[in-house]
Amino acid sequence: MTDTEQFPVRVEQPDRNGGNIFSRVFDELTAFCRSRSLFILHYCTGCGAIELPPAMTSRFDMERLGISPMVSPRQADILLITGYVSVKTLKRVMLTYEQMGSPKYVIGICSCTVNGGMYWQSYATAKKLNDYMPVDLYIAGCMPRPEAVITGLRQLMDKIAAGEANGWEDYYRRYDYYLGHQQRLFGETWQTPTDVIAEARHYGLFGPETLGDHTRLLEQHQAPLEALEMQLGLGAPDEVKA
Amino acid sequence: MNDAHLPVERLSIILGEVKEVRVTQKGPRRTRLDVAADALPALLELLKGRAGFVHLSAISCVDWPDDAQFELVYHLWSYELNLLVSAHTRIDRDPGVYVSVYDIYHPAGFFERDIHEMYGVFFEGAPDMEKFILTEWDGPPPMRKEFDSEGWVNDHFDWQDYRPDWLLELEAQGGGVMIPPDEQRFSRRGIEDNDDAG
Repeated sequence: MTDTEQFPVRVEQPDRNGGNIFSRVFDELTAFCRSRSLFILHYCTGCGAIELPPAMTSRFDMERLGISPMVSPRQADILLITGYVSVKTLKRVMLTYEQMGSPKYVIGICSCTVNGGMYWQSYATAKKLNDYMPVDLYIAGCMPRPEAVITGLRQLMDKIAAGEANGWEDYYRRYDYYLGHQQRLFGETWQTPTDVIAEARHYGLFGPETLGDHTRLLEQHQAPLEALEMQLGLGAPDEVKA
Repeated sequence: MNDAHLPVERLSIILGEVKEVRVTQKGPRRTRLDVAADALPALLELLKGRAGFVHLSAISCVDWPDDAQFELVYHLWSYELNLLVSAHTRIDRDPGVYVSVYDIYHPAGFFERDIHEMYGVFFEGAPDMEKFILTEWDGPPPMRKEFDSEGWVNDHFDWQDYRPDWLLELEAQGGGVMIPPDEQRFSRRGIEDNDDAG
């Protein structure tokens, strides 16, 4: 039996593929297959969501590209942010994004996700989505037509097939950067239920910029997660009547 | 209908019973009433009880910082007369306290809670003055005129880079952005040169 340690193979992260050096051989095939079967979690934050039904259904039919909608973040590949993201919504978007399994891709649709769009002056909406999570593709427009949405999805497919859509890795490698922007907007005590740093180690994506000042701040404030208390009923009966 | 003018006349008879109310006819079915702050609840009570103005569509608030006043507008609709009445009143801006009309119109609870959140006007007697939509907002009431929304945005957000390197290639081919957004936003001229240019 040949000792595989003797092969002059340079692997960037040895742990990433379970230590199997042959996994890189199949990378191209895997990426191709992955790009042909995508499930979209469409987080309809703003007006751009109205362009998705025609893009999904018989008129433009994104299912012919192998893309179909999915209701749960756990089972979705693409997070579609369609329109302005208010600060409150952004918190929910972050929770959703961190719940998704890797590899995951983010598409920002509409001008509002690019630079705030017509809400550039508003205190309530986030301006630049890629400050808070890595965005693989923007589809600009107010709103982009279904043709543009389909074209954008095809571009994402090409990027995935070429192995270039690696935004989700960036979230683990530079978690401190993204967390810093989140803390700037949501306050210092911001924390999510997902242990991103542990996940970064799990995926073998722990880098020098994963930890930093902001993650240290997070550790200071981090409270252990507790299960929510289950509550039944709508309150006292006389309260309901009033 | 022949007697389309009749509802307006009936309204004016009722309004004759209220002192110091200025009636302005804004259109065939729109009436504006200006009334002093202490007479407004009585006016609403009368309109609801005698003229069938059972629907409070909304309460709006206008900030007049030069007069140091808030203007409260109660929009009322009568299904019997098919008339829209807007009752205007002004209160002092400094304490910013007014009386709730929740006992007359229950939907007012929502509108007053909203105005409290957006303008900081406190309504005495309202059932709930807790935060409503801006549950995670701890800044000043954002709809007041003195709140500088653009300044807040400049403090809390970074702007998109409108002159990225990859755009240079497109510009060399004759494409690109015609007018960068930071030049279109006239009020941000000068700010851009100082901090985040480049």
